[in-house]
Amino acid sequence: MTRLSVEDLTERIHTLTPGDRTVRIMNVCGSHEHTIAFSGMRSLLPRNLELIPGPGCPVCVCPESDIINAIRLSKRQDVILVTYGDMLRVPSREGSIRAGGGNYRIITSPFEAVRIARANPRRKIVFFSIGFETTTAPAAAVLESGVPGNLYMLCSHRLTPAIMETLVRDAETGIDGFIAPGHVSAIVGSDAWNVFPAKYGIPAVVAGFEAENLLLGISDILARLGRREVRAGNVYGRVVRPGGNVRAQELMNKYFEVADVNWRGIGSVPSSGLELREEYGGRDARKVFGLGEVKEEKIPGCICGDIILGRAYPSACGLFGMACNPQSPAGPCMVSVEGACNIWYRTKKDRGNLPAKRDFKTEGRFIT
Amino acid sequence: MCLGVPMRIVEINYPAATAEASGVRREVGLHLLPEEEIAVGDHVIVHVGFAIEKVEEGLADEIRRSLNEAMGAADGEGSGA
Repeated sequence: MTRLSVEDLTERIHTLTPGDRTVRIMNVCGSHEHTIAFSGMRSLLPRNLELIPGPGCPVCVCPESDIINAIRLSKRQDVILVTYGDMLRVPSREGSIRAGGGNYRIITSPFEAVRIARANPRRKIVFFSIGFETTTAPAAAVLESGVPGNLYMLCSHRLTPAIMETLVRDAETGIDGFIAPGHVSAIVGSDAWNVFPAKYGIPAVVAGFEAENLLLGISDILARLGRREVRAGNVYGRVVRPGGNVRAQELMNKYFEVADVNWRGIGSVPSSGLELREEYGGRDARKVFGLGEVKEEKIPGCICGDIILGRAYPSACGLFGMACNPQSPAGPCMVSVEGACNIWYRTKKDRGNLPAKRDFKTEGRFIT
Repeated sequence: MCLGVPMRIVEINYPAATAEASGVRREVGLHLLPEEEIAVGDHVIVHVGFAIEKVEEGLADEIRRSLNEAMGAADGEGSGA
């Protein structure tokens, strides 16, 4: 296939965008939002075409209750809490894991959790395992490869297709199309998004992470608007197969089962998370340590929940950039480099303007 | 944390492997890919220490380039693991 230039693709998008209404296309991957924001893509596209960052950051959606439980576990003498670096600074009403000053270690792979457990046989190692399918499959793989008896898991894994389906039903967001996440799709397969065109008439197209590939994905979504289709599109076919990574799916299914779980700022979403299966309950930190659910407390002024749901842009938040910044995040979306607020803050710092150079009526909220 | 990093496989002791990117070597798990489909010299996308999919070399370079741009802009803020 001949590669189209940015100019060609931009022109195609202008031609394909309906002129009589606003078209809202949501991405559900922090890396996609990163490319969109830093490329300045929004300023090239039609004013009535909205590119909306959705729930693409697993750090942002991890419930406050799990953060609090992790902090409390890290303060136990018999426990070492291990987790990915981003999780340490996620705010809660009891502070953050790092600020709590308990026993914690940063890992970059579940393998390191195993290594730490082997090196500390007298301690209980709790692996605070979070993320979408791209980190769930590795967590399952490490369980499959055999782990020591003193390793427990506090699982906060989330399923991307389930939250997207919830968003489709949210009239306030009003989504016209999805840019499906590139690497999550490598695991679940592009067919996992067929439900959106088939059941809801909303096109979904898997895209990669380069600006050109994203623009191609966006033009593909626009071309599919109004068509009755049963399959999702895929412009990242060099990595993503229709059925995904079957081995990864089998491993996830072996160790985890689907559960109703909470999303930060959103609340409970049916069948949207994964928990360890009953037979692995002996490794489940929730059961072993008798962890309860702590009711979420809203952070005053923070609109992370609305941002994750695509109801508002980060710039609509009164805390954005002032009371909330990457050095001292007030809300979860400012913590990780995959969080929409963090990305928008850095774009502004780097380029001197926000990712979208537009005047948003009603202070950046979408007009419905 | 959720970032996929393209790496080249330099040694395999299935399912363990060593992979390299930008001169840095790292232990990588091949548990999610069938043994017969992966060989030394192959490029893979790595998430939290595990290869999730094989990619051709040209694409690995493209992803690396856009990743470098993104991370150069990260400026050390936020500790992506």
